Amino acid sequence: MSFNRRDFIKTVGASSVIVPITAFATPSGGPRTGGKARIVVIGGGFGGATAAKYFKVVDPSLSVTLVERQTVYTSCPLSNEFISGHGKIEDLQSGYDGLKKRGVDVIFDDAVSIDPTKKTVKLKGGKTLSYDFMVLSPGIDFNFSGVEGYTEALANTTHPHAWKAGPQTLALKKQLEGMKDGQTFLISVPPGPFRCPPGPYERASQVASYFKSRGMMKSKVLIADANDSFSKKGLFEQAWKRHYPGMIEWVAGASGGKVVKFDAKSNTASSDFNDFKGDVVNIIPPHHAGNIAKSTGLTNDKGWCTVDMLTMESTVHKDIYVVGDSTVHGELPVYGAPKSAHMAATQAKVAVGAIVAKLNGAPVPEPFFVNTCYSVAEKDWGFSVVHIYRKKDGKLVYITDAGGISPVNMDDEAQLILQRKLESEYVHGWFKNIMADAFA
Amino acid sequence: MKNTLMMVLAAAGLAVTPALAGPTEDLASTCNACHGLNGVSVGPTMPSIGGLPEAYLKNVMLQWKSGERYSATMGRHFKGYSDAEISALATYFSKMPWVPVVQKVDAKTLAQGKDASERCETCHGVTGSEPDDNETPKINGQWAKYMHLEMLKYRTDTVKMPHRKMRGNVKKLDEADVEAVAKFYAAQPK
Repeated sequence: MSFNRRDFIKTVGASSVIVPITAFATPSGGPRTGGKARIVVIGGGFGGATAAKYFKVVDPSLSVTLVERQTVYTSCPLSNEFISGHGKIEDLQSGYDGLKKRGVDVIFDDAVSIDPTKKTVKLKGGKTLSYDFMVLSPGIDFNFSGVEGYTEALANTTHPHAWKAGPQTLALKKQLEGMKDGQTFLISVPPGPFRCPPGPYERASQVASYFKSRGMMKSKVLIADANDSFSKKGLFEQAWKRHYPGMIEWVAGASGGKVVKFDAKSNTASSDFNDFKGDVVNIIPPHHAGNIAKSTGLTNDKGWCTVDMLTMESTVHKDIYVVGDSTVHGELPVYGAPKSAHMAATQAKVAVGAIVAKLNGAPVPEPFFVNTCYSVAEKDWGFSVVHIYRKKDGKLVYITDAGGISPVNMDDEAQLILQRKLESEYVHGWFKNIMADAFA
Repeated sequence: MKNTLMMVLAAAGLAVTPALAGPTEDLASTCNACHGLNGVSVGPTMPSIGGLPEAYLKNVMLQWKSGERYSATMGRHFKGYSDAEISALATYFSKMPWVPVVQKVDAKTLAQGKDASERCETCHGVTGSEPDDNETPKINGQWAKYMHLEMLKYRTDTVKMPHRKMRGNVKKLDEADVEAVAKFYAAQPK
């Protein structure tokens, strides 16, 4: 980053002295393109809230509107621990006052349609907003037809999926608390990609932890999986063997684990080969990008939004940047970048950087994508996976030298106990910070 | 080009936005998710990093990257960045103000921690705010829980922690004093 007189003259010369410089200046007053741009963010989860905040961090004069359905956000991260009896639901929640204080115009409404040509978005309440740039972070919606017999009505009443945190999280917790020793908790996992790749297995661990802590040693967790492997598999299997021997059974897709049918009356979930019965049945239905992304035509044939890997701009419609769980982003490792809170937040920052650079006529900044995802299998037994994606030779690549899962085996027992203890504690510090990074 | 432009703006006396103004700032913004905006953490198990000495920050990051220093998570991050990028991050965060997060501690623990922390004074200063060199972190108003966990690393013999003096002193602490020492420093505003 050397700078000399020649560069100065060259740069100033190239930007024809003084006036354009103020047009480039990001933070202070004066005329600039950015100050007049209207930015609309749809969806106030980790992706959307982080985007709204960082526009204001980078340039407080930007006009930023956030549209979100709910006045209180409930985090999916740590919601499995909540289901098994740790903490209060309020610990997982945030309102939007922090963003309002930063000058974000927060509208509690439902975005019903986007016109990418006129660059407008219509809200259920009747308003129409115009945008120069949109960040769309709609999260996921469910394909209930993927499991015949499982419906939205069941999800909202007797059979919560609890894959969007909120009332269903509370409902599932209550069901767990009603279980008796010897009963079975059945989790059905949809085909990937799905939100929170290690989530179903963490949930299984937390349910087993609940059983164990109450001496319900005859109870079982059964995982019927549409897939043949899963995130952090070695780490989970090690934890299950150590903490819950014989309590958790995993049925792979290849062994007939893919649930395609559900009968609510008999609590039976069926694959083409097996019938699985549970006393509590937790069907996680297949999902796709949020409905608004689908209806705007931003999704591919598999239901996910394709984006420019380096900027998060939709490959379908210009000036719409899609972030978070609704995107398919990065080729590696399995389904692309994991659908996690951390990934959504990092994608949001990249989208903000790309949009602000565009507004200021600056080149696209180098994007940095980072994911840290913790899972807690038992008290003092946590582990993580780290992903680093970077630009190499003009393309986004997964950095194989870095990242990866926590070590499964270590030199001795003391190290292993230390490693798992540290990460079981780090997750809580991570959570407070990432919530603040998005909402405060 | 963008960097040069920022330098021009700075030279022209125009304010340069503190975040997302160049590659280092963009990279640093990814740290915020765990370490807080401007390196001030709001989560008890994650350390604040803004305003720590440059040499200290650079050392630990490079040692995590090489594996010379044990970390539960950070080594897997830093293997993704060049030494030059790590240096730039250290410079960036060292230039931020150190913002102590002063934590309340009961009087008994405070007294116990103060007593037991005598062996820490030479290097970290009486309240942890005046390290004796640029390779030693400030610890006043650092998160107690984080410091406690960090000391658990030093107390686990077989994990690599390259600072022998620190290891020796942490191991000499009575088990019952470890948490009190962490809480004593966490309670110090300056």
